[in-house]
Amino acid sequence: MRFTVFQDAPGVSLRSRPLLDSYRRMQPIVRWFHQLGSPPTFDRFASRWSRVFYLAALPVLLVGIWQGLFVVPAEQNQNDAFRIIYIHVPSAWMSLFVFALMALYSAIALVWRIKICEILAMACAPMGAGFTLVTLLTGSIWGKGTWGTWWDWDPRMTSELILLFLYLGVIGLYHAIEDRRSAARAAGLLAIVGVGLLPIIRYSVDWWGGLHQRQSINVFGDNAVRAELIAPLWWMVVATKLWFVGSLLAKARADNLGREAGKAWVAERLGPAGGSAQEHPTR
Amino acid sequence: MTHVPFLVAAYAVFALVLAADALGSRLRLRAARRQALQRQQRQRAREAGTNASALGTELSR
Repeated sequence: MRFTVFQDAPGVSLRSRPLLDSYRRMQPIVRWFHQLGSPPTFDRFASRWSRVFYLAALPVLLVGIWQGLFVVPAEQNQNDAFRIIYIHVPSAWMSLFVFALMALYSAIALVWRIKICEILAMACAPMGAGFTLVTLLTGSIWGKGTWGTWWDWDPRMTSELILLFLYLGVIGLYHAIEDRRSAARAAGLLAIVGVGLLPIIRYSVDWWGGLHQRQSINVFGDNAVRAELIAPLWWMVVATKLWFVGSLLAKARADNLGREAGKAWVAERLGPAGGSAQEHPTR
Repeated sequence: MTHVPFLVAAYAVFALVLAADALGSRLRLRAARRQALQRQQRQRAREAGTNASALGTELSR
């Protein structure tokens, strides 16, 4: 059946037949990923799924916040200030995860020259910077409430601040170069080099100590925090991941549209009036 | 010592950043659509101008 579709596809020349043959032999999942690399397909995918992920994140986020603020009991030593953990820790984890993902997309884009990976890598940066900012600010507020100081040049805090500067560097570099592809390659290279900072942030408290407490929550292993206090944290971890995917797809879609502005598929999608088809791009 | 002001400030920062991110994504998408549309309108106007001048040359022969 698929063979017939390809055979009858308009504009298929004899020269592209070997390409189509190899395309037909691909595993469905590999083929799907391959198709997703095409800007129009990605636009359709992102327009549908960014909204789904945002909407899925909202109830999970509300449950996490509600549990964290009103359900779990106050902690013995820190009292209610402890509840900041439910936004501080997921944001800190996201700040590292997003940077690693940005570097991975950048590496794929540099090696295989996949345009969508460049776009996705650059779309990671604003959200990663946002999570890093939340980590630093909520950590600072938490520090004032418990340690009595807004800031200390502690290894964990300082390395997290450097991560924020790296994110800002990636964003700045991407917008400083006019050619989008060269800009993405240069900024991607900075992201790949910057990945070296992630283990430093992760192990800084073990290597150099400082004011910041050691790792108290482990995904696989024992936790220093009481079990009944952990549940909202997992809700928030899932919520931040869902929100991030929604945001990533929305930002990548905007960048993709901007880069492809002169192409026929964009004209087709925007419609003659520019607004009639844009809300229903899957048609 | 009450920790409520710290708690409120921290959660407000979190909510503000997420809201700014969502709003930023929406505005970027809108701007990209507008730019694409303007580019297409310029392209159409250019094409129409080229066709008109070609017709003019043809008639003046």
